[in-house]
Amino acid sequence: MLEVSHLRKVYGSEETGNVAVGDLSFVVGEKEFVCILGSSGCGKTTMLRCLSGLAPATSGQILVEGNPVDGPPEDLAYVFQDYSRSLLPWMTVERNVSFPLRYKGMSKQEAKSATADALDAVGLGDRTKAFPWQLSGGMQQRVAIARALAYRPRVLLMDEPFASVDAQTRSDLEDLLLGIWERYAVTILFVTHDIDEAVYLADRVLVLKAPATVTTVAEVDLPRPRDQITTKALPEFARLRSELLSALRH
Amino acid sequence: MRTAPRVGNFLLQFLLPAALLLGYGVWSAQADSFYFPPLTEIGSTFAETWLFERVPVDLLPSVSRLAAGYGLAVVVGVTAGIALGLSRRARLTAEPVVEFLRALPAPALIPFALLLFGTGTNSKVFIIALGTVWPILLNTIDGVRGLESQQLDMARSYRIPSRSVLLHIILPAASPRIFAGMRTSLSIGIILMVISEMVASANGLGYFILQSQRGFEIPEMWTGIVVIGLLGFVLNWLFLRVEARVLFWHRGAKGLLGESAAAPTADAAPTADAAPTSAAALTADAPTPVAATADGRGPDTATTPNVPSTARSSRPVS
Ligand SMILES: Nc1ncnc2c1ncn2[C@@H]1O[C@H](COP(=O)(O)OP(=O)(O)OP(=O)(O)O)[C@@H](O)[C@H]1O
Ligand SMILES: [Mg+2]
Repeated sequence: MLEVSHLRKVYGSEETGNVAVGDLSFVVGEKEFVCILGSSGCGKTTMLRCLSGLAPATSGQILVEGNPVDGPPEDLAYVFQDYSRSLLPWMTVERNVSFPLRYKGMSKQEAKSATADALDAVGLGDRTKAFPWQLSGGMQQRVAIARALAYRPRVLLMDEPFASVDAQTRSDLEDLLLGIWERYAVTILFVTHDIDEAVYLADRVLVLKAPATVTTVAEVDLPRPRDQITTKALPEFARLRSELLSALRH
Repeated sequence: MRTAPRVGNFLLQFLLPAALLLGYGVWSAQADSFYFPPLTEIGSTFAETWLFERVPVDLLPSVSRLAAGYGLAVVVGVTAGIALGLSRRARLTAEPVVEFLRALPAPALIPFALLLFGTGTNSKVFIIALGTVWPILLNTIDGVRGLESQQLDMARSYRIPSRSVLLHIILPAASPRIFAGMRTSLSIGIILMVISEMVASANGLGYFILQSQRGFEIPEMWTGIVVIGLLGFVLNWLFLRVEARVLFWHRGAKGLLGESAAAPTADAAPTADAAPTSAAALTADAPTPVAATADGRGPDTATTPNVPSTARSSRPVS
């Protein structure tokens, strides 16, 4: 569970600085899938950095699983926007995924099976001994996702995770993520630019306007399990899409 | 298929040295010069002197001084370099001193080292360490400062303890620069080894050369010079082998693995800079860790190694 109330983040000083997040409040329920839509530069990454405890909030409160955030929370994993830079090129795929697990208190055996599990889940079970730089961009992104999954987080933050892959890979990854979300029962906060992606994935879509303030909330009542063809053909899908499109424009 | 060009390259590398030796041999045989004794005489003196009579007397002391001084410099340079690289304040504090000491040629301190440590091994080790520590230190600092902030953020968000961050992220990330510094230092170390042994010494290669010259034993002097040349050659070769092994991920990440995997010999350094154009042979006969993946999906393995680096550099950072 994730509760954000009156979050504010200013880079630099309050008077002269750059207000990246103005006044942001929302709640993501247990095992809910919430997407955040917003144009470039509206403060989405900054918001996630505050939620993940990497950047201190200027004011406001963030609760993860009921605990106030004043550093990276225990049960949270964060998939970065610039995923390829967050992988370590001197470690194999397997090692990249298992590296954080020992420090979480998993035994060697547990870490091993969690790693194998997560890599299987993202379809990289046969590339465990490869190095990140031997993989395509989409595969690297899947490694970063597998690393987050193997960590067994209760809250998963994802920052435009599919922005740099082709359309086909993208829809494959979306379906993969939905499957994982159901299987691992995690709370997901997913940031994207893409309206279709947000509607397709989410229980709820929040639209942010610079400086990161919620302007629209859309409940998505599309039936699950969702399907790239039939779900996107539903009239409700089209209605949500145009609602969000106009919300983003105004 | 691959062995034929390999043997060819190997022979090619022998061509010039062989020609030079032959040329000198022919010329010196009839020159009757005191300073340039015939090749055959140098050869026989070499066999008498260095197989293996003077090996424990002069070669081993030299090599162990070099190893001790250089090893000390690596330990101190990397440790201090990481500390200075991580802390801006420490860097600012240390900078004037570092810049001053670095500008000081190590041989200028030989008299002082002799006062401090006497004429034995320690003064030589001190001079070698003092002269070789700077490239390692400065490169380590740069390497640490060039760290991807995203990798550190990742480590923080997964709550990885700082000791492990140091060992598994900072050190490997800085290792390409550390190795660059160590390579420069290795040549400096050999120079200082010789110079320090030419001043107030009782053994060592530098001492041997100087003594031979003073005793007008010109062929002996030449054999000493040859031994130093060979020593430098072998050490550099060993260094490149180790570097290629430790940093193979770095070459791979930069899309350079093809050439270096095909020729991980002494010419690995020039090829690394030359940015090989043939990416075809990439993982086919790479060192063990890479070869293990070659059985994966063929097309991916064959074509992808360039993808991440280009994808990375062209990605807008937002
Ligand atoms: N480290 C920083 N220092 C100062 N200003 C920053 C910093 N990081 C971001 N900003 C500013 O904060 C604002 C929001 O940036 P942020 O990266 O959060 O946007 P974003 O919504 O994630 O954009 P994108 O969709 O392009 O990733 C921008 O105006 C940006 O210039
Ligand atoms: Mg962003």
